[in-house]
Amino acid sequence: MTDCGCDKAKAELEEYLHRELSAQDFEDITEHLASCDDCSAEHLVGITLTLKVQQACKETAPEELRAAIIARLESV
Amino acid sequence: MTITLDSRQNVILGDLELALMDTDDVEPIAAVDASEDKKRLFEEQALPFMDQLYAAAMRMTRNPADAADLVQETFVKAFQAFGQFQQGTNLKAWLYRIQTNTFINNYRKNQRNPYQGTIDELEDWQLGGAESLTQSLSTRSAEAEAIDHLPDSTVKEALQAIPEDFRLAVYFADVEGFSYQEIADIMKTPVGTVMSRLHRGRRMLRDMLSDYARERGIPVAPATTRSTT
Repeated sequence: MTDCGCDKAKAELEEYLHRELSAQDFEDITEHLASCDDCSAEHLVGITLTLKVQQACKETAPEELRAAIIARLESV
Repeated sequence: MTITLDSRQNVILGDLELALMDTDDVEPIAAVDASEDKKRLFEEQALPFMDQLYAAAMRMTRNPADAADLVQETFVKAFQAFGQFQQGTNLKAWLYRIQTNTFINNYRKNQRNPYQGTIDELEDWQLGGAESLTQSLSTRSAEAEAIDHLPDSTVKEALQAIPEDFRLAVYFADVEGFSYQEIADIMKTPVGTVMSRLHRGRRMLRDMLSDYARERGIPVAPATTRSTT
């Protein structure tokens, strides 16, 4: 076992979530999460937060805006 | 990813067209064609990002009228500068850079923001601490579930309430999936600052959402004490 332990995992969970870790660190933390309920629960909060923000931020540009932009580009 | 595929096709198409144009006699009509080609290429490649840019503009300006103006201005500027865009590089990041610049230069100075300029210097304890590290497993699971049950309107409200630089960092990373380096380029800050803004922004968001859940009677961890001044 090369479990990196809770301290390292917790410190890097956000970078783990955002895929900003080296392949080795990513692997270490994946391995730790598989065996640590506490860190997995913390990671779940992080994932939930990301998914909620993604869902809340969905927007569709109004049709008038689309038309206005295309008209502006024609006149530039 | 279809986006990558599309832009690659466009590059090939662009090169072919350029090659054809080079062999043609340069006549006024060719110039007209070239500008039409440029417009067509721009519309084909950039316009599909309109919904995303509008969503980002909503998070930046916090109202639909300003968001629409900002997106329109972004597209006009992007079109005028499209000749400088290097085909094959990240068009989405390029458009976001233009929009973020435009927002900072034209809109931000008209908005009141008491945190401006000093926010990065605030200590973590002033923003609410990292109390979750001492929470137990069951309260963390409860917290994830409670946050999951909150309506979109509450999440938006919480996002609107966090300081702008933090909000944008969270938006760029979590919604758009930009890398830290890309966010650093868009926001013109070092990667370390991006990480710190992201960390603090997510921390504030999480605390706020947990508080909302608690107020609505969704069971979360017991209320934690933290500085609110």
